[in-house]
Order: sequence, then C-alpha cells, then structure tokens
Amino acid sequence: MTAVVDRLRALPSWQVTLSGALLVLGFLIAAQLAAEGPRIRYTTQERGLLIETAVELQEQQDTLQARLLDLRGQLVDLEAEGPGSEAAVRELNAALEHARIAGGLIQLAGPGIVFRLEDAENPGDVGDSLVTARDLRILVQELWLAGAEAVSINGERITTTTAALDIGSAILVNSAYLAPPYQVSAIGPDDLYDRLTTSASFIELVEGRIQPYGLRLSFAELESVTVPAYAGAIRTRYAQPENPSADAP
Amino acid sequence: MNRGRPRWALTIVTLVLGVLVVAQLRSQAANSGLANLNAQELTLVIANVNQRNDGLRAEVAAVERQVEALIEAHDRGESALDALRADLAALEAWAGLTAVTGPGVTIHVSGAIGGDGIEDLLNELRNAGAEAIAVQDVRVVPGTVVYGGPGGLSVENTPLADGFEIRAIGSPQILTGTLTRGGGVIAQLGTAYPEAAISVTPLDQVAIPATTRNLVPGHGQPSL
Repeated sequence: MTAVVDRLRALPSWQVTLSGALLVLGFLIAAQLAAEGPRIRYTTQERGLLIETAVELQEQQDTLQARLLDLRGQLVDLEAEGPGSEAAVRELNAALEHARIAGGLIQLAGPGIVFRLEDAENPGDVGDSLVTARDLRILVQELWLAGAEAVSINGERITTTTAALDIGSAILVNSAYLAPPYQVSAIGPDDLYDRLTTSASFIELVEGRIQPYGLRLSFAELESVTVPAYAGAIRTRYAQPENPSADAP
Repeated sequence: MNRGRPRWALTIVTLVLGVLVVAQLRSQAANSGLANLNAQELTLVIANVNQRNDGLRAEVAAVERQVEALIEAHDRGESALDALRADLAALEAWAGLTAVTGPGVTIHVSGAIGGDGIEDLLNELRNAGAEAIAVQDVRVVPGTVVYGGPGGLSVENTPLADGFEIRAIGSPQILTGTLTRGGGVIAQLGTAYPEAAISVTPLDQVAIPATTRNLVPGHGQPSL
C-alpha cells in the first residue's frame, strides 16, 4: 500500500493535473454524446431551423419590448415637461398616469409572493406531469381572488388582453414564449398568502392537481416583489371609445 | 523541450475541455423547452411570436410618432393637447376605464358549467384577439374572475343567473371561428360540461361598459 502512495508521490504534479483533466474530458464527451444521441434520431434539419427561427424571433421580441418601454418612458417625460402649465395639461397628465398604472404599463413594486411552478421531476411520457397554461391561469385567478393587484409570469404582466396558451409542451403568455420553470409574481395585501391558502379552490388546485402529478410548487413571501410593466401593443383596432366626442374641447 | 511538451498537452486538453463544457451547457439550455416540440408545434410558436412582433413594431412606430409630435409641439411652445387627448382615449379604452363599442360576438351560456370553464372561454377569446370583454354587465379587467361551481357562478360578487351573456369586441369571424372550431374550446367544454349549452353569434356592433373596479394599486408603488 505504502509503495503505491510512494509511487504516486513520485509522479510530477503536471501528470496528476493532466490525468484529472483527461478524466473530466472523457466524462464530458460521454455526457455530450448521450445528450445528443436520442435527439439526433428524430431531429430533422427542418426542426433545427425552426428552433433557430423561434429563438431569433423571441430575441427580436425582447429587443422590441425594450425599445417600446424606452419610448413610453420618453413619452411620459415629454408629457410631464411640456411648456403648458395650464390646468388642462396637468389634468390630462394625471389622467394619463392613472390610466397607465391601471392598465399595467408601469412597473410596480410592493409586498407580495413569488411562486415557482415546475414540471414533475421525472415527467416521463405522461403529459399531465408537465405544467400547463391552464395551471398557471388557475394560479393567477386564485391570486386575483385572494386580493392580488398586479401579477406577472416570467416577467410578462397579466393585463386585460393577456392570454396564456399551450403549444405542445411550450407555454405562451402575451404571445411570448416562456421557458420553464415558471415564476408567478404577485403584489397584494399583507394577508395575501393567508387568504390564498385558506381558499377552497386553491386547496383543490394543490391537492387535486399539483400533488397527485408531482408538479413542484414553491413560494416566497417578500417585502418587495417587482411586477414589470406590460411591453405590448395597446392600440385597439375594433374597439372604439363609446363617446369619443365627450373628451373633445 | 522536455518541460515544454506537458504544458502544450495541458493547454490543448484544457481548451477542449472548455469548449465541451460550453457545448454541454448550451445543449441543456436548448433542451429545456423548444427542443421538445415537433415541427408543427414549432410553426405555431413561430406564428404567435411573429404576430406579436408585428404588433410591437406597429406600436413602436406609433409611439415614435407620438414622441416626435410632442417634441415638435414643445419646439413651437405648444402643449399638444390633442395628442395627449388621443393617447389618453386609446389607453383608457384598452385598460377598461371607458365604455367601448365595435364589432364582435355575443356568447349565450346556459346549463351547468363551472367558473373554470368560463375562464377557459375568456382566455380563448383573448387568444383570438378580443380587445374588450364583458360578462353580463361586468367589464373583464385584471382581477376579474368568474368563479364558483355549476349553478353558483359569480363575477365581482354578483351572482350570474342561468342563461347569461358574454360579449367581446374583435373580428367577428376570427372570434367565432376560434371558439367554434372542431376540438376548440367550446367542443372541449362540451366534454367537460355536457349539460352546458354555449352559442356564439357574430355581431356588427357590441357595447361593453367601463369597469367599476378600482385599478389603482393600494400596495404596489410605481418603480423603475
């Protein structure tokens, strides 16, 4: 035994380092091949291109969202610093700020809860062990009923026109592709968590859906939760204010 | 020379190692979502994301024009009241603060159905591009939930009688088509709630009231 240790001690340190590195290398090559293997079998070139396109479009969307938020910020500043200090302008600016906050175009921070909802650890072939858009919608509805005043999922603000839908195992909210895990952030009263967890329909969600299928739900109650602004289109094409002339001078 | 070789070997091995670690991490990141979808599902994701991008481009262009108009007005020493009013009217209509009218659909719901079923219907309306929705006389805004079991539905603390109406503004064809297509939301609800009857009527003119809900947060503060 001591002979082996002595021989090891006699090895130059670079040889030990090299052996270690080679060992990790071998492991990584094996892992890489194992990860590629099953996918290559059904991956067509077309699918690869489609994934690339989807990722590119989502990146474009992120850029457009950032640009829109920036422009809306400029708009708010310009409106506020307008030369007219007359009452009409001040009144309009106050109404604009109110409408932006009410609609979710302004980022909010306040006390609340952040949930994290994840697929079952070993989803297998059972579709029910994956988080669906419906699971997220029900969680959001429960939060509203418990008194939440602003909610977002992975940074997408829930607004009056927000839809959440499944496409295969992917979830789209506000037409943005959301990568799992799903983080639902909510701002609300101090007793938001108590109200939520004593609601019969929330208990039904946990006991009838989340627990039986092994979905993982965790949460944190925080003093300051940030719910981002909605970065999407608000111009309506079909809906017209009922009485547009009422606002005219 | 003898001391140089191991260094070279070590450098090369470390380099390859680094490349592989990155490749491994990347392939795992790609695996987390989109890689699980088939070609048809990916095409749908692309269509959805693309449609929103088009909407975002139009919105960015519109806000750019607003910003320019305001800058010009400031340069002339004017306060651009008309631009502010137009901005306000569009915002309030979208946010549910004012009553709106337009083409759309009315949906008659009768029989035993749960609040979750109605919420599925509302989600599908939004997915089909509904710009404003009301359940009976209640404008649907963030925080509005139709809840309760069959026979005991409520919205905003108001009970819904059997045979109530949902109204939505949007393209009547797209709204009707999306709701009533084979395997669509109404077909699915027919399976979950066989006693419910849901009928959709396209209309040229639908009126939707303003919300009575207070949408100004009492706990959250605007933040940057």
